[in-house]
Amino acid sequence: MIKPRACILRTDGTNCDLETRHAVEKAGGDAQLVHINHLRENKNSLFDFQLLIIPGGFTYGDDVHSGKILAVELLAFLKEQMLEFIYTGNLILGICNGFQVLMRTGLLPGDDTNNITGTLTHNDSGRFECRWVNMLVQKSNCIFTQGLEDSVVSFQAAHGEGKFYTDKNTLNKIEDNNQVVLRYSTASGELAESYPDNPNGSLNAVAGISDKSGKVMGLMPHPERFVEYYHHPNWRRKKDKPHGLIIFENAINYINKK
Amino acid sequence: MNIQEIRVTNLHGITDIKGNEILYEIKNSLQINSIDSVKTAKIYRFEGISEQEASVLAEKLLSETIFQKFSLNKPVLSRCDYMLEVAYQPGVMNPEAASLLKSAADLGINTLKAVDSSMEYCLSGRNINTEDIDLITRRLLVNETVERVVKEKPKTLIIGGAPGETEIIPLCSMNDEEMKSLSKDRLFLNLDEMEIIKKHFTKLGKNPTDCELETIAQTWSEHCVHKTFKAKLIVDGIEKPSLMKRLQDSTSQADHPLVLSAYVDNSGVMELYDGFALCGKVETHNSPSAIEPYGGAMTGSGGAFRDIIGTGQGAKVIASTDMFCFAPPDLPYSEVPRGCLHPHYLLRRVVAGVRDYGNRMGVPTNNGSIHFHQDFKAKPSVIVGAYGITEKEKCKKREPRTGDYAVIFGGRTGRDGIHGATFSSGEMTNRTISVNSSAVQIGNPIEEKRMCDALLAAKDSGIIQAITDCGAGGFSSALGEMGQKVGVEVWLDRVPLKYPGLAPWEIWQSESQERMAAAIHPENIKQIMDICKEHNVEATVIGEFTGNNRLEVYYEKQKVCDLDMEFLHNGLPQRVMYASWKPQNIDKQHADRNLDYEEIFIEILKNLNVCSKEPVVRLYDHGVQGNNVLEPFVGENSEGPSDAAVITPVPGKSYGVVISHGLNPVLNKLNPYYGSSWAAAEAVSNAIAVGSNPADLCLIDNFIWPFPDEESLGALDMAVDACTDFVKATGMPFISGKDSLSSTYRSDSGDIIKIPPVLCVSAFGRIDSVNKTVSADFKQIGSHIISIGYNDTNQMGGSIYNDVLCAVDNNIPRVQPDKMYDVFKVLHKAISESKILACHDISEGGAAVTLAEMCFGGNMGADIIIPREEHPEHFLFNETPGCFLVEIPAYLKPSDLFTGIPFVHLGNTSVDKTIRVNQDNKDLFKVNLEELKTAWQKPMREVFGG
Repeated sequence: MIKPRACILRTDGTNCDLETRHAVEKAGGDAQLVHINHLRENKNSLFDFQLLIIPGGFTYGDDVHSGKILAVELLAFLKEQMLEFIYTGNLILGICNGFQVLMRTGLLPGDDTNNITGTLTHNDSGRFECRWVNMLVQKSNCIFTQGLEDSVVSFQAAHGEGKFYTDKNTLNKIEDNNQVVLRYSTASGELAESYPDNPNGSLNAVAGISDKSGKVMGLMPHPERFVEYYHHPNWRRKKDKPHGLIIFENAINYINKK
Repeated sequence: MNIQEIRVTNLHGITDIKGNEILYEIKNSLQINSIDSVKTAKIYRFEGISEQEASVLAEKLLSETIFQKFSLNKPVLSRCDYMLEVAYQPGVMNPEAASLLKSAADLGINTLKAVDSSMEYCLSGRNINTEDIDLITRRLLVNETVERVVKEKPKTLIIGGAPGETEIIPLCSMNDEEMKSLSKDRLFLNLDEMEIIKKHFTKLGKNPTDCELETIAQTWSEHCVHKTFKAKLIVDGIEKPSLMKRLQDSTSQADHPLVLSAYVDNSGVMELYDGFALCGKVETHNSPSAIEPYGGAMTGSGGAFRDIIGTGQGAKVIASTDMFCFAPPDLPYSEVPRGCLHPHYLLRRVVAGVRDYGNRMGVPTNNGSIHFHQDFKAKPSVIVGAYGITEKEKCKKREPRTGDYAVIFGGRTGRDGIHGATFSSGEMTNRTISVNSSAVQIGNPIEEKRMCDALLAAKDSGIIQAITDCGAGGFSSALGEMGQKVGVEVWLDRVPLKYPGLAPWEIWQSESQERMAAAIHPENIKQIMDICKEHNVEATVIGEFTGNNRLEVYYEKQKVCDLDMEFLHNGLPQRVMYASWKPQNIDKQHADRNLDYEEIFIEILKNLNVCSKEPVVRLYDHGVQGNNVLEPFVGENSEGPSDAAVITPVPGKSYGVVISHGLNPVLNKLNPYYGSSWAAAEAVSNAIAVGSNPADLCLIDNFIWPFPDEESLGALDMAVDACTDFVKATGMPFISGKDSLSSTYRSDSGDIIKIPPVLCVSAFGRIDSVNKTVSADFKQIGSHIISIGYNDTNQMGGSIYNDVLCAVDNNIPRVQPDKMYDVFKVLHKAISESKILACHDISEGGAAVTLAEMCFGGNMGADIIIPREEHPEHFLFNETPGCFLVEIPAYLKPSDLFTGIPFVHLGNTSVDKTIRVNQDNKDLFKVNLEELKTAWQKPMREVFGG
């Protein structure tokens, strides 16, 4: 069987690419690191892949806004291709900086690439912070979280600009559409009301969202940092199936079944 | 040409994080209450585009209407009582500029010539006076070393200038006074050294060019050549081999089977598994960090990372560490020496610099420490470590061959960072900030990241003959050293510059960051250029290795430097230096504070050198690269500190790397020998505590010492003896090291402050399976708590306990490395057989603090009994390293596990969240865990939030 192919997009300042590649490979996929220059020069085509991942990092130094310079570049050179990629049923995952990029291209929440309807802005604390967080998986049609609904997953969050912010209308709309996929919670699954359970002050504790089709997802915490049981900070207290791996396995299984 | 100005600010109702932070500092750090609000706006300036194009940039790139608004060529902030714009000094690279140029081009705007960005502050309040504004500006908003207040809109953003000329320095006809004044603030050489140079040129019958003189000064600087460490020593009248030789000899005598390269490359290299090699390097960046802490710490990290990248034929950075020493953050402003910055500011800015470099490069910062002592008020110690891996067959350097090209990579060259090597070798004075401001710059981690990616791709293709970083001394140092055995010819006019106007010697000496140099065979040039282009990295051929053993540097047709490599590298005669250390006459002083057990315990937990550093640690990304298997804080609420970092550098493989360190700024002053063995023992104990095999560890030394007068050098001599004795007793070799001998401050009026001598020892090694590692948090209720190791609890000198009680005593812990090694072996065996549930090393604050931290991690209490013959306070608070507290399951017998080494069955973990201490059937005290934890967490939260 041919393994599902994942394009791990990298550019200046991408820095979670190698562990993301490992996560995809461990989940049974075939991952390739692709520099955006190669896509711009048509040395690689998005359509050789079924999964596009924009990994974490500080693309172009997060200058102006986090992920902004890459978002502008994607819209300027690859907008049609990306829309076509989504339209033909492929998957896109944005992690941390990748989520910021997807929001700033308008591909998330996904109505309009000409209009940015939500953002990820500075944490309420004003600080970059690295800590493990719990999230309650919401009921949704999102491919990446199938089977995890109503369970609590923990990943490491590591960001300074992760506060999900939007206007009331958009928030209502994405909640009504079940596009909120992950919400920060306590260990027992209650909605995180305050810091540090909600690490950044995100509205309604939103940690990850998808588009309406459930095929494009973005989240701030890092699933690729939890693909071995010993990645969890307390694996010496309790060993668990690595939650992050499930996210990647869901994507690979979906592509295999398609 | 017209400049378009765009200002962006948050919409009303959206928090202005930066403004709020400044307001907080105004009220809390400066205690000024006349300001009610601070609003901020970002200003972008574009030269060469139309107003219409500027508006496209504003809408598509600079602002997001969901939470921001912008204005074009007019103010955006209103109702300000005082408005102020702060920008980088001209010539200081604004890291954002390149991104703005790129994005504008991506948006189809191609006429853009230059761009800059800055911050605008709008202060409002009643009764604002100019005095307050002045204070806020100087202390909070502007660091004059790199920033300035913008008074009027600039006419152009383009920095111009004609290239400077090469000067001939009339050295041969100079007298001593003239040579002294030439050396001062420029060459930092002493008169003897100037005399040698003068003789050399007199013999040649010519005067040197500025370029030649600068090259010699840089190559002979303490920073580059380690004159003191290589000097012949006369200690109390007896001749001893140089410090360097003793360290290196002890390493070769240890003949450790895992060592691949020691003291020869940019880092020390040892064997990992699976054909991989592990390398480690620890650097100090004290001088730059003292005058511009953010930029200084950033470039310190960047330099340490490049040392790894430049090891062998190239290596990947997998982790970084940071160790700092500062004066207490609450030091009154009046006690800050003239020309020095306040420790509160230094601490926050150094942390921010380390954070921004490591996080952006994607290098996890997962081990470190912060120490506080009054005497660091004149200069902090900022120590940054970096670790990496490469293939074993590529872990050693090759020599450049005649005909290879000298290629440079990465950032462009500017006037920044000139004289860093010579400057950092000099003492700090109250003139340092104004005279040497060009010695500091802001780092650009993204530039380094892409360069690193490109160079690793080139390494994988096998086309790098030799590689090194351009650190202190710039090209002069990098190419001068790389070409030492063959000779090199360099064409400076080919070097890409940030802006015109640099004199040839400035290009040659510039320490602009994020640059590396390599020797590449001509037939591989196309391949390396392609790799670099793919990664958006600039690469340029600027010279050729010649085979004539000369250093020849050209600018266009003019030969600006022509030196014999032999004179340059070996012309400096070995120094003879005198050393003699006398023990300080210390009147033993007994505790003069009357505190009960519980009060002492709490005082110690909230001591700055003991308290939790969690708020700092969380600012660093310690999980990037997905390889961390022992986080800095673990346990039920992730509040218990770990002893060392454990990472799995090869994804999917369960073998690992352990990294730890030890340093104590107080002990070396009391006793340089035992203070130094303390540091080595502490470094290794931390690694052993998590499960390291003592046979699989190597060490790195960093001596941060006052200017080597006879007394300081005497102390240094003892410190080196302690290190070599440690190697002899344990077999663990030092394989990399660095000395920084400029920890002395001298003011105009002759006041001298010697910064405490610090030896930082870093330990790193391999672990065959991370499954066999252990953390420090208590795991089970009712298990045994055992204390193991050799100590004499009466050795309380230099302890936090003494500090808290204002007691003075120079009887510091005396480590016995050979006995300690037995403890390591026994403990390692028990951990590898999975018999240990938790293990924590005893260090600052003693066993009581160790116990408390294990309780915090496990979120459970402990009941312990102090042996009858022990002085309870000494037992609880003694700080001898090589001693541990371990938790073992209730069904195991301690005597079965710890045969042959001293152990004490202290007690048990308990369900009550208290620590209860008993001796001789009497309860000494009982204290609530929450109360202890609050005290322990408070100090750093006050400085960093969280």
